[in-house]
Parts: sequence; C-alpha cells; structure tokens
Amino acid sequence: MSDAATRRPNGLALFILPSALLFALFFLLPIGLMALMSVLTGNPVVAPKVAFTTRHYARMFDDPYYLEVIWTTIRIGLVTTLVALAIGYPLAHWMARIRSRTGHALLLMAVLAPMLTGIVVRTFAWMTLLSDKGVINQTLISLGIISQPLKLMYTETGIVVGLVHIYVPFMVLTLTGVIGRIDERLEQAAENLGASPLRAFIEVTLPLSLPGILAGSLLVFALAISAYVTPILLGGFQIMTLPILIYQQISANFNVGFAAALGIILLMISLLLVIAYNHALGLVSGQRELQ
Amino acid sequence: MGPSHSPSLVSDQEAALRLATAPMRAIAGRRCYGRYLYLAVNISILTFLLAPIAVVVVFALNPTPFIQFPPVGVSLRWFEKFFASRDFMHALGFSLEIALLTTVSATMLGASAALALARGNLPGTRLIVATMLSPLMLPAILTGLALFQTYVLLDVGRPTWGLVAGHTLVTLPYVVRTTLAVLHNFDTRLEEAAQNLGASPLRTFFEVTLPLIKPGVLAGAIFAFIVSFDQFPVSLFLVSPGNETLPVTLFNYLKFDLDGTIGAASVVSIVLAFLVVVGLDRTVGLRSYVKL
Repeated sequence: MSDAATRRPNGLALFILPSALLFALFFLLPIGLMALMSVLTGNPVVAPKVAFTTRHYARMFDDPYYLEVIWTTIRIGLVTTLVALAIGYPLAHWMARIRSRTGHALLLMAVLAPMLTGIVVRTFAWMTLLSDKGVINQTLISLGIISQPLKLMYTETGIVVGLVHIYVPFMVLTLTGVIGRIDERLEQAAENLGASPLRAFIEVTLPLSLPGILAGSLLVFALAISAYVTPILLGGFQIMTLPILIYQQISANFNVGFAAALGIILLMISLLLVIAYNHALGLVSGQRELQ
Repeated sequence: MGPSHSPSLVSDQEAALRLATAPMRAIAGRRCYGRYLYLAVNISILTFLLAPIAVVVVFALNPTPFIQFPPVGVSLRWFEKFFASRDFMHALGFSLEIALLTTVSATMLGASAALALARGNLPGTRLIVATMLSPLMLPAILTGLALFQTYVLLDVGRPTWGLVAGHTLVTLPYVVRTTLAVLHNFDTRLEEAAQNLGASPLRTFFEVTLPLIKPGVLAGAIFAFIVSFDQFPVSLFLVSPGNETLPVTLFNYLKFDLDGTIGAASVVSIVLAFLVVVGLDRTVGLRSYVKL
C-alpha cells in the first residue's frame, strides 16, 4: 500500500468521515475561532459592535512582563527537556538491552507506574517531598545537615524537578523503541575493533539514536510548556507561565481575546518546534517516517 | 579465556552468550567498573521515579493530618474520609463515566479512521495522519481553550457531550497510532487468501481482518481510557461547577488542603493504574504496543 496515490479511493475510505467530522468541528474550527478571537475587540455573539484589532498582541509585546512569562515558559520547557533526556537515556538504554524477559517487564512496570499515576497525584507527591516541612527537609534537619529548611518548593527548580518526573517516562518509551532497533552487533563490532564501550557508545549508538532523541525531546518539550498543574502547585502562583496566564485570563479576567492571543503564541511556539523537528529529523535520517 | 571473536557476523544467540561471559572476561578491567556505574546510575533513576509514589502511599496510611516524616503509625482514616466524601465519590463516578464514553467513541472513530487510512487508498494520507496525531503534539491546554471559546460563542454552555468530544480529540491519536501500527505489519495476503477461498469481503473483514487488528485496537482503547481518566487541561476548561472530574476535584482540594485524603485518593488511582497495566500486559502484551 505504499503508492496509494496511484490507486482510487475505495469503500473503506468512507470510514474516515466520522473522525474527519470530529476534527473539523471540534479541532480545526475551534482553533480557527481562537485565531479570530485574538484579533477581535470583543465577543461577536454578545457585543453589537466588534472590530478588528491588534491590541491583544500589542499588549503582549509592549509589556516586558508578558515577554518574561513567555521566556519563563520556554526556559522551563528547555531545562525540563534536557534533564529528562539525561535521566531518560540511560534507563531507555538499559530497557532496550536487558536480556531477561522478567527484567524487561519489571523495568516497563517501573516506567509505566508513574506515568499512569496521574499528574495531580504526582505533583502532590513532590509537594510532600519538597515543602519546607516535607520529607527532604525533615530528613536533612533530623540528620543535622541543615538547620533551616531549604527553599525547594515555590522555585523554578522545584517545578523542573516535578515536570521531569512526570514527563521522563515519555522520553524513556520513545528512546527505548529507537535504541532497541539499533543492531547490537554494530556496538560489538566497534568494541572488537578496539573501541572502549564508552567510545563504541558515543560513536555508534548515540548517533544512531538521534531520531529517538529528537522525537522524545519534542514530546517532552511540548508537554512541559503546556503544563498547568505542576507549575501552579509547585510554583505557588509565584512563577507565571503561559498556561497559567491563559487560564487566569479566562477564569479571573474574562478576557477571552487576550487569552486567545496568548493561546496563538503558544500554538506558534509548538508549530515552530514541530517544523524544526521535522527539518532536523530529515537531516539526521534522510527520510521521514510515517508514524 | 572467553570465546574467540569470530570475524563474521555472529548470531544473536552467540552474541547473547558473549555478553553473558563479558563480566568474567573483564573482571580486572575498567569494563567492570563501567558496568557497575551503569547499574548504579540506572538504579538511582528508578529510585527517582518510584520514591515519590512510595511517599504518597506512606502519607495515605499516616494518621496525622499533616505531613510527618518518619511516619508515626498506620491508619485507614484517610481512605474512610475519601470514600465517605460525596464530592470525591461524585467526581470519581463522573470521571469513570467520561472515560468510558470517551473510550467507546475514540476507539470506534480511531479504529475506523486507521482502517480507512491504511486501506482506503485515500489521497493525502500523510497529511490526514499528521492532523489526527497533532493533538498529541499541540499543548492540550490549547484544545481546552479553543473548545471553551467555541462553546461560549455558540452559547451551548458546558455540556457533558462537549467534554466527551474534547477527551475524544486528545485520546483518538493513541487509537489511530496503535491500530495503524498493526495494520502496517499486516500481511494482506491473508485477506486475499480468504477471498480466493470464496469468503465475501464482509466475511473476510469480520473473520480475518478484525481478529488480527484486535490487539492494536484494544491497546489503543486502554490508552484512551487511561489518558481520559487522567486528563486535566481539557477538563479544566470544560467542566461545569459541581460536575467535575476527579483530577480537577483533587487539584482544587490540593490548592487549600494538604492532608492524607489526597494520599488516599492517590493510592486508589495508583491501584487502578496498576491493575490496568497488569491487565494490559496479560491481555495484549505490552512489549509490542507501548511505542510512543
């Protein structure tokens, strides 16, 4: 079925219609409406006079506060992605290379269990660990290592730790699939030719796993910049990110137009990323996979 | 010492054997330290992943109403409070209802879409697949915001079907992906054989195609259920007050209280998640279908 373009659509093609309708009505239309709302002065349904305006975007780009929020969101996303990659890679490598079936099943369970535990629950777990009277501070104080609790919560570091924990399974699962497909004999050949295991890894395995690194990083970054629960609970409203700001505009200010403009910015960041990803993947593998 | 390295490509079995004997060969070399370092790093990572979950369990069983470490005893009072709470129970029921409705709609729509994409000879397949998978890559909070604005503009309020539609949108990609994966590995000659032996296209579909793609559809359905049950950003915008899903209720509770009830709720959802994973592994086998 590789060259479907040369053949005519058959009866099975009709099965696409229900989901195409769902996407048109509940995805493409709403995103289009959001773009429209971001350049209107008000809600066209209730307000009698509505005009086009660029004031929502002007407000965002004129006020350093909003630029700072956008930058904080991207910064948290980048740091989270890098740490998740550093933590996820060794585990993914182990999972892809482990021989015993039981060992593999246990590792998979260990990776999936946190993933299935729920974002709110895991954020709660990190609150119990990081707060001033949390497990880490109480343990360190009782051991006499510190006298004053360390400020772990309500900091950007705290948010990153929580986000890494929540999204590292996505990184591991993406990487495991790619590393598992690399022929192990290539590494062995490098070692037989005199390379140390580390050098064999750096010169053989790592370059071959680049597509997985890119895919996992894209996924984690996209998830991290759209996180809401973790930055709000671990940041204690003191660190503002785009998703928090967007929801605040809706729930507290009822400023639908400005929320839409912020949403469009978030959309643009994500789209730019996907384009950059596809470009990078094209450079790395020379071909694009139909996932 | 160990087996000699054959110059030709070795079979997997031989490679396995060599790997198994590697620690013996390298017992005095730095290879051994490297192996220990590798294991130590990985075990620390596993600890990082699992410790927070263990801590939640400890707090759920801790009798004091504030965080105390080390714990002073064991009690089930938070579980009693959780199961006795009308708000939590209503939220749990509502979440299950939404997750079930979402699973049914996402599975039916996603599996038929995958079938059309793999077999329908549709033009622009690549673009359609990219669009259908895009809710995975785009921030879910955008889907929530865009739907919220649409419902406001259309003045439909915050209906349950609106929430289910939002959840279906973000879970459908999983079903499409798992079903497409099975369809792409599918030997189409099996269907041709059935038809050559006289089976009608309909009979071929029900007796050959459907049983063979079932594992992929089932895996997608389980993913859809899990993702919907834990869905937060879309729900945040689309739930109506008094009719909230469990994650939203937990989040609102967490903003003001930090007692063991959340721990108990967490343990309940961890147990649910664990059962789902074990069930998934038993029924369809995780190894081949957990590929993000």
